[in-house]
Amino acid sequence: MPQRPTSSLAACVWIPLFPLRCEEARREGLATHPTALLAPDLSRKLWQVSPLARHTGVRPGMTVSQAIGLCPTLRLCEPDPVHYDERFASLLAALNEISPVVESGELGLAYLGTDGLEGIYGTPGRIVEVIKRTMESWNVGTSEAGCPFQRSIFPSFRLGWGKGKFAAWVAASRAKPGEAIVVPPGGERKFLSVQPVAVLPLDPDTHRRLRQLGIRTLGALAALPEEAVTAQFGAAGRQLWRLAAGHTVEPVVGRNAPEPIVAALTFFTPVGERDLLERALDQLIARALKHPRRIGWRVQAVRLRAEIEGGRSWLADILFKDPTADAARIAAPLRTRLEQAPPPGAVERLVLELTAFTPGTAELQLFARDAVAAARAGQRRALESAAREIQQRIKRSCLYHVIEVQPWSRLPERRYALIDFEP
Amino acid sequence: MVAPSRAPLRVDRLRALNVPQPVAVECDVEDRPQTVGDVTVATVLESWRIDDEWWRQSITRCYHEVILDGGRRVVLFEDVATGEWFAQMP
Repeated sequence: MPQRPTSSLAACVWIPLFPLRCEEARREGLATHPTALLAPDLSRKLWQVSPLARHTGVRPGMTVSQAIGLCPTLRLCEPDPVHYDERFASLLAALNEISPVVESGELGLAYLGTDGLEGIYGTPGRIVEVIKRTMESWNVGTSEAGCPFQRSIFPSFRLGWGKGKFAAWVAASRAKPGEAIVVPPGGERKFLSVQPVAVLPLDPDTHRRLRQLGIRTLGALAALPEEAVTAQFGAAGRQLWRLAAGHTVEPVVGRNAPEPIVAALTFFTPVGERDLLERALDQLIARALKHPRRIGWRVQAVRLRAEIEGGRSWLADILFKDPTADAARIAAPLRTRLEQAPPPGAVERLVLELTAFTPGTAELQLFARDAVAAARAGQRRALESAAREIQQRIKRSCLYHVIEVQPWSRLPERRYALIDFEP
Repeated sequence: MVAPSRAPLRVDRLRALNVPQPVAVECDVEDRPQTVGDVTVATVLESWRIDDEWWRQSITRCYHEVILDGGRRVVLFEDVATGEWFAQMP
């Protein structure tokens, strides 16, 4: 398997509220009103809220009735995750034109590796200018490509450049819309020291504890002894301290983007019944697994897309911890998703994409291309067989695994529990 | 730790982990643990109090993280409502 390219110098491109910005861009007049986007599940709660709506007290996670109660003029948008995903994919493709090392974060957040680019473009400032120009042409290009964009989402992007992803991200998060902050090499510690602790990847409890201890900036945190922070906050505290002190330089890791294997089914009449969708899913999986490019490879990631009546869409991304070429195991998490968060309407077209692969097949270890993957699969099968044998002999399960129940609980006995290991 | 099985998760299959065990604790004049069973407390590392779930059945506990003679580290707590002491893994 080819090694993934990395880069320690990073540029961070961030478009906050990316899905909401996409909606504002394709619907005229939306940007001038308080707007909220509904969550892409059945909860009917708010997912993203525009700054105008936020001013009226509307917050993500509220129910529609709560939000309308606070802001009667609020405009609600149904989510269209496939559209956001396509827009983000086109952004990544545009950034790939500048650097081969592009890593995606959440929707609207991308990192570019810029190691070696100074030979082509010059100083970091010039590299940032090139990224700005690319962003501009990306936005114009998609508008010209027939996308009915009424308003540019370009001005809402922020850019940061620095050594390591964290410095670049902090720089982008502090930049004004449409502008960039460049952290000069060697100046990371000075730059980070004045930033608030909120830029760290903190859980609310740790954030509250830091506030109570009077630690408000990364500089204040980095001034403490590393051991003291570790003693107080554990391994996560050590990681936070190292980030704050500028000791952690997390490189940008490029992606190997193989061409996905796609199988699609268009229904004559829109389908709402889950049974029919599941049957269609089984057909799509079988068809995709038969594809010649799949032979000898196990599937690591799948994506199921549904085009829904009324121009809406639904999306489910599944990443397998244990890659597989078994149709039933590929179908299981997708069926669960269809059951727990089904498409919010009748489906016109269902598309299955196998998007990432791992060499080797667990079924044919002798001929597996990747001995490590095959060995892992073999170990798992041996474990499952041993567990079954123990269960048959003593008529009860003696193997357990630890699961998180309420990891945030202040009562230690509520945090974790044991559950029978049943292969 | 093994990978999670694919069996459906059912609440009745869960077993509690780190359940508090009742212990006999003697305290000094400042209400800090002095002995746990027959073992003397060497150091009290940290003490804190939890008041939780006041909206249903209130839980009020005074916790002490201690090191016993011999080097074993345990977390003790007193259930303030009943005055009973329990030990837990740290």
